[in-house]
Amino acid sequence: MAKTYDYLFKLLLIGDSGVGKTSILFRFSEDAFNISFISTIGIDFKIRTIDLDGKKVKLQIWDTAGQERFRTITTAYYRGSMGIMLVYDVTNEKSFENIKNWIRNIEENASADVEKMILGNKCDLDAKRQVSKERGEQLAVEYQIKFVETSAKDSLNVEYAFYTLARDIKAKMEKKQEASNPAGARSGTHQLRDERPKPTSWLARCSVL
Amino acid sequence: MDDDLPTDFQVIVVGTGMVESIVAAACSRIGKNVLHLDSSDHYGGLWASYNFEGLQKFIKEINSDPNRQLQVYNLIEKWYIDKDSPQEETKQETEEEKTEPPKKIWSQADFASEYRKFNIDMTPKLLFSRGPLVELLISSNIARYAEFRCVTRVLTWLNDKLNPVPCSRADVFATEAVSIVEKRMLMKMLTSIVGYNEEEMDNEFKDWTDKSFKDYLTHKGLTPNLIHYVLYAIAGGSDAMPCLEGVRECKKFLMSLGRYGNTPFLWPMYGSGELPQGFCRLCAVFGGVYCLNRPIDSVETKTGDEGKEIVVIGSKSKNLNCDHLVIGINECPKDLLSSEPSESSDISKAIFITNGTIMPSEKEPLTLLRFPPLDEGDNPVTVLEVGPATGSCPKGLFAVYFITNKVKDAESDLMKYAEKIFDMTGDQTKAGDKPTCLWSLFYNVKDVSAGVRDGVETVHVCAGPDAGLDFDRAVIQSEQIFKKICPGEEFLPRAPDPEDIVFEDDVTHGPEFRGDEGDKE
Ligand SMILES: Cc1cc2nc3c(=O)[nH]c(=O)nc-3n(C[C@H](O)[C@H](O)[C@H](O)COP(=O)(O)OP(=O)(O)OC[C@H]3O[C@@H](n4cnc5c(N)ncnc54)[C@H](O)[C@@H]3O)c2cc1C
Ligand SMILES: Nc1nc2c(ncn2[C@@H]2O[C@H](COP(=O)(O)OP(=O)(O)O)[C@@H](O)[C@H]2O)c(=O)[nH]1
Ligand SMILES: [Mg+2]
Repeated sequence: MAKTYDYLFKLLLIGDSGVGKTSILFRFSEDAFNISFISTIGIDFKIRTIDLDGKKVKLQIWDTAGQERFRTITTAYYRGSMGIMLVYDVTNEKSFENIKNWIRNIEENASADVEKMILGNKCDLDAKRQVSKERGEQLAVEYQIKFVETSAKDSLNVEYAFYTLARDIKAKMEKKQEASNPAGARSGTHQLRDERPKPTSWLARCSVL
Repeated sequence: MDDDLPTDFQVIVVGTGMVESIVAAACSRIGKNVLHLDSSDHYGGLWASYNFEGLQKFIKEINSDPNRQLQVYNLIEKWYIDKDSPQEETKQETEEEKTEPPKKIWSQADFASEYRKFNIDMTPKLLFSRGPLVELLISSNIARYAEFRCVTRVLTWLNDKLNPVPCSRADVFATEAVSIVEKRMLMKMLTSIVGYNEEEMDNEFKDWTDKSFKDYLTHKGLTPNLIHYVLYAIAGGSDAMPCLEGVRECKKFLMSLGRYGNTPFLWPMYGSGELPQGFCRLCAVFGGVYCLNRPIDSVETKTGDEGKEIVVIGSKSKNLNCDHLVIGINECPKDLLSSEPSESSDISKAIFITNGTIMPSEKEPLTLLRFPPLDEGDNPVTVLEVGPATGSCPKGLFAVYFITNKVKDAESDLMKYAEKIFDMTGDQTKAGDKPTCLWSLFYNVKDVSAGVRDGVETVHVCAGPDAGLDFDRAVIQSEQIFKKICPGEEFLPRAPDPEDIVFEDDVTHGPEFRGDEGDKE
């Protein structure tokens, strides 16, 4: 199968339950928003290919599958991720405070050089706001992570956020490739898939002896 | 926070071991409403992989809880190296006499600072490339949650040293360990074994049902070397292995050759503990609710309205109801179990962290080593050596797992085998041919094959980890449990690829993307 992209980035969404992670993913991948959203329809990850400086970048964005709800993210979720969107809800103070906990969780489980970005979602709900934009910015400065307020509902800054994260990953990757040879650490691993049925090698060539 | 937990489910699964997780995924996949709980703060139960800190916590927990010692006991942790790295000054002193050693000298403090790079398995296992788990991962599409590496070589202990076992056809040709005549003999033997179907097998071996595989190989005129390879290394057996079992094991080994690599085996990246998590993820994607850190206090069955049996689970002063309870044997209240048929033998295990591979090779090896019993009364010992490329340990180290059926206790059963292939003095400066053991853990695990008290048809007990090399028993048991809960339903039909999921148009499309700052160059 011909490769239809130059880069493949695995991205994750992290944050408390209800902050709008699935909505952000939908906004970005389908350009859609559904208020009465059912979270149990089997979304695993979504794909969108974007164009960055003339390169095709395939973004594979994984949703938590609801496993964040009772502090049950699997360690496997973090494997191989290159970028993480940390999402809180500007109308929910607790979700903002928990960003620090999620960062600790990432430090424990994700690769040390994973790119991160903080999103303050639901910024369309100004009347219910509990977390000011300044506090979000301050937190981001504290952790030296980029920050933007988003609205999955009004499609505000969602594209900007993913383009920014992807651009940062790409820049980091190209810098690394210059520094060392590009042979990734993951060479030699197998992702199992259906292949054309073939007879066992043992039987196939046993007539020689 | 836990208390927005809904209370009514069709299936509740307690414990996140391999069998429980497969059943949870299978039930959720066909539309059952599933709650999956675990009393501890991580996935996998005794099937988990731990980083070095998590492992220390696990050891402490076992040592301080007599209840858990019913499952895991005889834990002995040992360090062979210093707490801290030598000070700068002492380094300079030794430098006068010697040039700097080429190898890093590890201290306990180095392990602590690199703790995250370890993924140590409590239940290390391999997958046969054409075994039931690989087929299940592919057919269910759960394979996308995991990655694997091929085992690069199979070794055995023969004539008091390590020997590579020729397992592919190319290996048989290339090996210098056996003569041309032996090669022909070996090829003929193995080729005929692969060729038998079940019927032919029954026919060919009808006179051998009460004889050993070794008798059969001897009868076929194989030389002692060849018998060693086939019996101990390929079939993984002992002298007493029944003939038919040996033939089946050989066939399984041979059938899995040539799919992914030079040996029949795959090892999961970051350890076997990733696999239950993959099944849990599928369960969650299809709506399963997950809650860790959630011990259960009681299990009762009662008859609800309309005479339907329901199972009521007490947990944190809340009652959770379900039609079917699937529960790991170690979490299960004793009164639900039938009086234990104690035919099961326990398992002796050990983990070693070393500073090099047991047999140097060009590329980083991933090794299965099979020891025949060294002494009368011993059982064969399986050894798995995994390196940094598997995500199991930091660069420069190897994690080595030993597994055997228990005779006395883990340390007496396994130490003498370890001494054959490791330097146990802790001396990291010596340039011997054996790697130095830096740390070790011995432990025994109870081998529990579940049996449930008669009459409780809505409670399904899952066995814990077995001593086998592969996951086959777990896969078979989970399918059996699933069939009891959901008769007539398909077991883990293929999940759609995310790319193929088309959403119905009941969504409101937002305003056109207006190109926020910097979106397009
Ligand atoms: C990843 C993570 C790790 C944490 N670790 C610790 C810790 O080690 N020690 C400590 O004292 N506090 C920890 N916390 C914070 C602590 O769990 C919460 O502040 C506390 O549980 C709040 O309880 P509540 O019932 O008031 O909140 P609720 O109102 O019940 O929670 C609001 C929402 O926050 C989310 N949430 C809350 N806690 C967690 C959690 N632990 N994991 C995932 N989602 C959560 C849930 O999605 C929930 O819907 C952690 C939080 C997170 C996110
Ligand atoms: N007003 C508003 N509501 C939002 C926004 N994003 C998500 N929501 C709503 O917040 C709730 C939770 O969203 P969801 O995407 O399921 O959150 P998740 O649990 O983090 O995946 C849903 O009812 C969404 O409709 C947003 O940007 N603005
Ligand atoms: Mg969601």
